[in-house]
Amino acid sequence: MTAAAVEATQPEAAVATPSLARRTLSVFARNKLALLGAVLLVGLIAFCFLGPLIHHTDQVHTDLSQANLAPGSAGHPLGTTDLGYDMLGRLMYGGQTSLEVGLAAGLLATLFGTVYGAVAGYFGGWVDAAMMRITDAALAIPALFLLVVVAAIITPSKPVLILIIASVAWLSPARLIRGEALALRSRDYIHAMRLMGGGGSRAVFQHIVPNAIGTVIVNATFQIADAILYVAYLSFLGLSIPPPAADWGSMLSSGITYTQVGYWWLIFPPGIAIVLVVAAFNFIGDGLRDAFDVRLQKN
Amino acid sequence: MGLRKNRIRGPVAALLAAVLGVGLLSGCGPKSSAVTELGATGGTKVEGGTATMALPPAATPNWIFPIGAPGYLATYNSSIQNLLYPLLFNPEQKGDKLSMESPGNLADGMPVYSDGNKEVTVKLKKGYDWSDGKPVTASDVEFWFDLIRANKKDWGGYSPGLLPDNVKSFDVLDAHTFRLRLDRSYNPDWFTNNTLQYFKPLPEHAWNPDHEDPKKVFARLTAHGKQLSKFATDPLWKTIAGPWRIERWTTNGEVSLVPNKKYSGPDKPHLDRVVFKPFTTADSEFNVLRAGGVDYGYIPPSVMAQSKKFKEMGYRIDPWEGWAITYIVLNFNSPTAGPMLRQLYIRQALQHLIDQKEISKVVWQGSAAPTRGPVPASLLPKDPYPFDPAAAKQLLTDHGWVMRDGVMRCAQPGEGDGQCGKGIKKGQRLKLELLSQSGSTETSNTMQVMKSAMSKVGIDFEIRQQPLNTVLGTTVPCKETDAACKSWQMGFFGSQGSWYFPPAPSGETLFATNAPSNMGNWSDPKTDQLVKATEYSGDPAAMREYAQYVADQVPVLWTPNPAYQVSVIRNDLRGVGQNPTLSLAPQDWYFVKKGGEGK
Repeated sequence: MTAAAVEATQPEAAVATPSLARRTLSVFARNKLALLGAVLLVGLIAFCFLGPLIHHTDQVHTDLSQANLAPGSAGHPLGTTDLGYDMLGRLMYGGQTSLEVGLAAGLLATLFGTVYGAVAGYFGGWVDAAMMRITDAALAIPALFLLVVVAAIITPSKPVLILIIASVAWLSPARLIRGEALALRSRDYIHAMRLMGGGGSRAVFQHIVPNAIGTVIVNATFQIADAILYVAYLSFLGLSIPPPAADWGSMLSSGITYTQVGYWWLIFPPGIAIVLVVAAFNFIGDGLRDAFDVRLQKN
Repeated sequence: MGLRKNRIRGPVAALLAAVLGVGLLSGCGPKSSAVTELGATGGTKVEGGTATMALPPAATPNWIFPIGAPGYLATYNSSIQNLLYPLLFNPEQKGDKLSMESPGNLADGMPVYSDGNKEVTVKLKKGYDWSDGKPVTASDVEFWFDLIRANKKDWGGYSPGLLPDNVKSFDVLDAHTFRLRLDRSYNPDWFTNNTLQYFKPLPEHAWNPDHEDPKKVFARLTAHGKQLSKFATDPLWKTIAGPWRIERWTTNGEVSLVPNKKYSGPDKPHLDRVVFKPFTTADSEFNVLRAGGVDYGYIPPSVMAQSKKFKEMGYRIDPWEGWAITYIVLNFNSPTAGPMLRQLYIRQALQHLIDQKEISKVVWQGSAAPTRGPVPASLLPKDPYPFDPAAAKQLLTDHGWVMRDGVMRCAQPGEGDGQCGKGIKKGQRLKLELLSQSGSTETSNTMQVMKSAMSKVGIDFEIRQQPLNTVLGTTVPCKETDAACKSWQMGFFGSQGSWYFPPAPSGETLFATNAPSNMGNWSDPKTDQLVKATEYSGDPAAMREYAQYVADQVPVLWTPNPAYQVSVIRNDLRGVGQNPTLSLAPQDWYFVKKGGEGK
């Protein structure tokens, strides 16, 4: 999330926005890990989405005559897979799926969780009690178990994968934002809005959510990181999008088959890519959390 | 800070550990001292020792009563039963064929056919006793026959019209001879191979001393057969005639056998004990194998490239090839795909797009071999539809299909020459969906290679992977109007081979109309006629004609036939013959001296 986007979602601070944005950016820039995360993420996105424009490969048709070539083979800097796909090209292609599904599922979970938590926290009373008991009950079911069951019943596709991951990931932001909403609902500007006849939806969408935006953005980065891991988990368990589609988790899973044979190039590249992208989102999240911390901005 | 720690420590650290762990595993496996490879036989025999054999993943022996109930017919059950209650005839590999002439037979020589092959006489070897000292007689075989005749619907091996329906009478001629009167004339080879293979004596004097009604006895024995925890202690199962007796049988499926000291046959065990060890997954078995926890286990085909490593660890690698074929079932009654699959030219085109040789060599690392037709490949001279994408495309374009947007569409509907065929509409896409079993990298890769080849000629081939039990439960015979018939078009359940034959690989249960295992609803009068000929005619050409015709008709898509398992056997364990019918003979196993010492 850019500073401009943050700015746009903070209507209450309209007058102080330029300096707030600058201060936020300045704190973010002082966090070296956060900067490293941002660089890593941009690099990985460029690698996955722009890389195929430079390194052309066929990721649809298999070629058994080129199977399991070691890195450095002609035309295959990172070697080939057990079906003859170019490994470097597959890493780019698989990364597209992992990033797309991870981003979409993480953002969807954050969006739904934010609205759900804000509604529960603002209205309070029996509405809050009922909504939060539903959340608690859903949290009691192990997410991975639920994902495996659902993915085994439904043939996964990109939209399906996004929906099933988001359906278990929204619980954490919901609880987090509900806590924020409980604190915000007693602020003077909310009382003033009510006295002027403002309704619940106005309070939630124009006051509670915008004022909790720092928490929402930070949480979104972690949600995306988790969603990418969920994609990897599911793919590793064989519940990925059917071939020839690929993602880093399924690449890692099929590479593990060749652990004993020493085909390291089937294992390390997707494994390291997952670690890097998840670490990048976590570093950015930490940086943003510090950037939105008013105390750090004052220093 | 709490947020940061939770988020980073958990998933990232776990993945780092996983990636690094895999790296360590790939380079730093346990190494045992090298053992000189001595081959499967020879060496200085050492009497005694315990051999541990790994059972297939998720296989838990759970049935001891030697008449298999439906649902208890798994090979590991019958293999163990036959070590306690031996068969009259045992199949043995002789060259490319199976023969029922085995030294381990309880029968004395081969059966004698008479009266135009309507009567068969079988003699038992003399001198075989039950463990309680009573002789094994023809009446014991009659006892077994009475049990299955009176309870045929509760016997898992029953197919209507076959045993016991095809035997009109069972006559005991003397203590060691019996004669069967058949309902018609049969091909003697077929009858010996596919019917007499079931016959075995059971201890009537111990199990039915009061000569009760067979139904009542069967119910009592079945009730005992369900008491898994008592298999090793129940006195009923202690009267045996085979070379082994049960020492231990745990509820999780671990079975330990020790020699039957009163065994009167010639092939007495050399080992002190043989243990069959269950594993929940192939991975867990592999880990135990690497740690030296089993003497006779298996590895995934992908590891075959590392055979040197296992040789250094003191093992030999020996793929266990089954008497089997592997195929993709085609649902001819599918409302959507049926009209396309019923066209011979489409089936031929699909078959031309399966590169069985390369898939066997690369994907299965040489542990699979092409299937050529409805019988094991060694019985057919050549592959009628070798890999040839150009021929496949030609077949489609010759029948009115044109490529549009990368997919073949029917441009010439109708039933005439050069037209798509009955039931195929104008503009219809050549789109097929395969329901394939999950959990096997090799199977998944095989299907990907097929999908790739099909997409090149414009066939939209979708793969849906589901667990094996789901696939088996879905790909069942159905009628076009059944809801169940709409749920699948093509099915694959052959990661360890689709169909294991009895010694005569005939098609009465597989490709005959309404046969119990004719999952795809194939129905063709000529196939039925040729199947009958293999059953009834004594002409050796009948089997060849049946095999060639069905191979040409492609009622299923023939795919590479994988080994039952890629066995890994300790070098100092010898005498291990891997029977293509998957039967076991641990009485032949023995250890040899290793570095001057026995095990």
